[in-house]
This record gives sequence, C-alpha cells and structure tokens, in this order.
Amino acid sequence: MSDVAPQPEAAVAAERLTKRYGSLTAIEDLTFSVAPGEVVGFLGPNGAGKSTTMRILSGTMAGTSGCASIWGVSVALNPAEAKRHMAYMPENNPLPEDLRVEEYLRLRARLKDVDAGKVDARVNQVMEDCDLVRRASGRLIGQLSKGFRQRVGIADALLAQPKVVILDEPTIGLDPHQILGIRDLIRSLRGQMAVLISSHILHEVEQVCDKVVIINRGRLVAQGRTDDLRRELLPHAGFTVVTKASQAELAALCTAVEPAATVEDGVATDLGWTRYRVVLPAQSPARETLATTLLSAGLPLREIAEERYGLEDIFLAATRRTPAEGRRS
Amino acid sequence: MRHFRTLLAHELRTALLSGNTWASAALFLALMGGIHFFALLECSRAPQPWTPVEATFRLFWLPLLCVLPLLTMRSFAEERRSGTLSALLTTPASTAAIVWAKFLAAWLTWAVFWCAFLVFPWIVHARLGTGGDQRLSDPATLFGGLCFVLVSGLLHVALGILCSCLTRSSALAALLTFICLLGLTAIGGAMDSLPIESWSWLGWLREPAAHLRTFGHLQDFAGGILDSRPLVLYVTGMMLSLGLAVLAVEGQE
Repeated sequence: MSDVAPQPEAAVAAERLTKRYGSLTAIEDLTFSVAPGEVVGFLGPNGAGKSTTMRILSGTMAGTSGCASIWGVSVALNPAEAKRHMAYMPENNPLPEDLRVEEYLRLRARLKDVDAGKVDARVNQVMEDCDLVRRASGRLIGQLSKGFRQRVGIADALLAQPKVVILDEPTIGLDPHQILGIRDLIRSLRGQMAVLISSHILHEVEQVCDKVVIINRGRLVAQGRTDDLRRELLPHAGFTVVTKASQAELAALCTAVEPAATVEDGVATDLGWTRYRVVLPAQSPARETLATTLLSAGLPLREIAEERYGLEDIFLAATRRTPAEGRRS
Repeated sequence: MRHFRTLLAHELRTALLSGNTWASAALFLALMGGIHFFALLECSRAPQPWTPVEATFRLFWLPLLCVLPLLTMRSFAEERRSGTLSALLTTPASTAAIVWAKFLAAWLTWAVFWCAFLVFPWIVHARLGTGGDQRLSDPATLFGGLCFVLVSGLLHVALGILCSCLTRSSALAALLTFICLLGLTAIGGAMDSLPIESWSWLGWLREPAAHLRTFGHLQDFAGGILDSRPLVLYVTGMMLSLGLAVLAVEGQE
C-alpha cells in the first residue's frame, strides 16, 4: 500500500464562491480551478474581489456560500488540513518588525509542521532560493527594504514545500531587477506546486502564468490560456498601415481580399503619409496576404505591421464585458 | 500541542525582549515597593492589627489596575493592527492555540512580576528581622497572598487578553481592560463591605455574593484556607474569557 496521497484533479477549486458584507456583495458565484503544478494569474481591477477570494481560499476569511478547497480538502470544513497543503502571502505582506529573518523563518517552519530535524535545512534552502543569505538573514525584519521584505514573504510561503502557493501582489513595490528575480523564482515553481498569483503588472503575469482568471465586480468574466482568451475576446486583427494612398483606395484593396475588412480614419504623419488602422476578422486568411496584396497593387507603402494583442488588451476586453457573457463563454 | 509550545516559546521570548514588559515591570516594582515601604512605615509608628505583607497584598488591586492592562494590551491589538495575526492564522496553528499561548505567556510574566516583589519582604527581613519574629515577612502570608494573586490572575489576565482581541488599538485595549478589572474589583469589594445579610429583600443575592468576595478570597488564601469555590470561579471565568477571545479572533478575521 502506498503512503502517497492521490493527486486531486484541482489543486485549488472555487465553486460558486460568494462573499457578502451586509448588502454589499464582494464576490458572487465565482467558479474556477487551478491544476496541480500550474501557475495561474488572478486578475481584476481594484476592488474586483481578488484579495477577498484569496483570503477565503487561504482560510483566513469565511465565505458566505459556495465551496473552496485546497488539494481536495474543504477550507471551511477542515481548515487546519487545508492550510497544511497551502501557503498564502497576503497583499501587504505583514511581518513582525522585531524578529530577525532567520528567526522568523524558523518560527514559521515550526508552525507549518516542517519536521523538527529539517527546519534548519529548509530555512537555509529558502533563504538561498530567495537570495536572502548574504544580505538579510541576520537582520531585523523592520530594517529591511520593501524588496527584501517581499522576498522574506515568498521564502515563508515556500518553507513547507506546500502543494499550493497563493501570492497576493508579490511584486508590488519591487524594482525591475527584483521583479526579474521573483519572476524567475515563480517560474521555477512550475510543475512543483500550483501557484495562484494576483498582480497588477499584466506583463509579469503574461510572462509567468500558464492561465489567467479575470474577475470584475466580484464576478468571473474570463478564464483560460492567454491564446484562447485572445481568440475569444479579441475577434479582430488590427494592422497599422502608413501609406500615401487615400482611405477609399486602401479600403478598396482591403475589401478585395477580405470583404469584412474596415479601414478606420487615418492620421496624417508627415510629407503626405497617413497612418491608417485596418481591421480584419481574426480568422481571416487575408492576415497572411494583406501585405503582398498592397505591395503588388503598387500602393506607396512605408510601413505595415500587425498589432500584437497582449494580456493588457485581453484584460481590458474582459473587464468591459458583462459577467453573464463571461459565464456563457 | 506542538504549535502551542512553539507559540508559547515565541510569546515568552517576545515578552522578554519587549520594552513594554520591562517598563511594566519597573512600574509594578516601583508601585509595590512604595506600598510595602509605607506599610512598614505605618507599622513602625504604631502597632497595627495587620502585618506589612498583609497590608501590601490588600492593595493588590493597585498594580492590577495600573500594570496588568499594559501587559496584555498589545497581545492581539498590536498584531491585528500590523496584520501579523492574519499571517499567523494562515498556518495550521489553531486560533485556540494562539489565544492560549498569548494568555499563558502574559500570565507567566504577571507571575514573575509578583515573584520579583517577594524580594522586598526578603530584604526587609534580612536587614531588620530579629530572631524568630516573622511579622515583617510571614512566609505563610506571603505564600497565601501569592497564591491568591496568581489564581485570581488567571481571570484577570484572561480578561486583558479578551479586551485586546476586541480592538486594533492597544490604548483602547488597555482602557477596556482597566474598566473590566475596576468593575470586577469594585464588585468584589462591595460584596465584602455591604451588609447584604441584613437586607432581607436581597436574600437571593447572598449565595452568589459569597462567591464574589475578592478580598475575602485574599484573606482565606493568606490565612491558609484553601477553598475550592474561588478556584472554580477564577478558572471558569478564565475559560469563559478565553473562549470568547477565540470567537472574537475567528469572527474578526
């Protein structure tokens, strides 16, 4: 008989999660999951309910209804067991000012049920991983910079090698070098533990996450892989075209290859050149042939480039649509 | 249990390194030293029906009201203000373990304060005591008085912890504790001094009042009478306060 517990389908599962404060609904009917070893970005505008959701998942706040589970264990019914599988770093990462980093991590390791004989090894390992050994291990937490405090919070989250790590804005207040370090660290966790990470830096999330969950006003508006969401939420492909041709000439050429193509009003740049935006359906084969069509027609062309839609565009499109649309999708 | 031991060790270490604890200890010893000095002075002027140690213990409510709120005010209020309590609650340690660890650490600190006070009668006895005359530092009175403050301290410290759970402000927690302890001491004193037995219309209050006579309890303990009723009162009061504290922490988080 094996001692290893079977791996659940979802490391984190939120099912119809709702939290109400009196008449105010912070989150409503939120359903999403994070697979084991997956890194998922949890996005939403300020006040969307991200921190509330994370606090419910971490067991520090009770939901009004719905079910939250960590590694198959209900957070509401068995909080101690759920917490054994999970680590949570809150948004402002509160730390005791009067403890040294190493002392704090030792205390947390003991509270997180790390084997007594392995506490030293684990503390040294996470301090090494988070680059705390040389410059911070013996210092009082109250004397550390914001960047080092964030690293202490992340080191604490990784101490007990949990199955699930929930990080609320882990890169807030960090400089670009520190952000790169944290990004690499989170990347290194992929496959080892499920990570649910909220951040306002969408570029970071795009770089690090396998999947995103987007909520707005407490409701789910989109979830899935970035490419899938791009196809779903941004059904058009935009091209920037700088030419001396008129809008009508350009529109005639574009509609010849794609009847649904539209050309938006141009902006004059210099010496008779005008910048237009051509919009095609995302699935149109004309995306491949537009440039050659314009060139072979002898159009005076200085520039043609397809717009790259990033997570920011997906986020804006998702947060503009209604929760009902999000649920349908 | 492992979490409780870890938390208790952490709380004791924090208390040992905290300036607040040392300031409270200094205030406590100054207060008790002053009380004991004046009790000795009174005894040296004219014969008194009480010993200096008895007189000092009868004023136990003074350090209780002035020092104990300072000792317990930060236990939860400060952690809630800084957010470290939320971080603590993300670990598998239970809320009850956290509350009990903070309570026991505060109670042990309170006990150390009172044990430190015993140095005063010992010094007086060493410098002024003569032969077998133990009136200056009667060990039985000292032991009984100490037992009383430690047993009643279970309830008093638990009330301080409960008050600290109710607010994010340490100052407000200290004020709440002060009011609760003042009320408790005043009720205990009133039950001792009011002639309830002679008021027939208050006959129903006679039995409960007998349990709340704080100064009567002190006298019993100092006289070597070990009555289980005050013990039950203080222990159940402590359990009730700590139970409410657990609910308060869980409710607020």
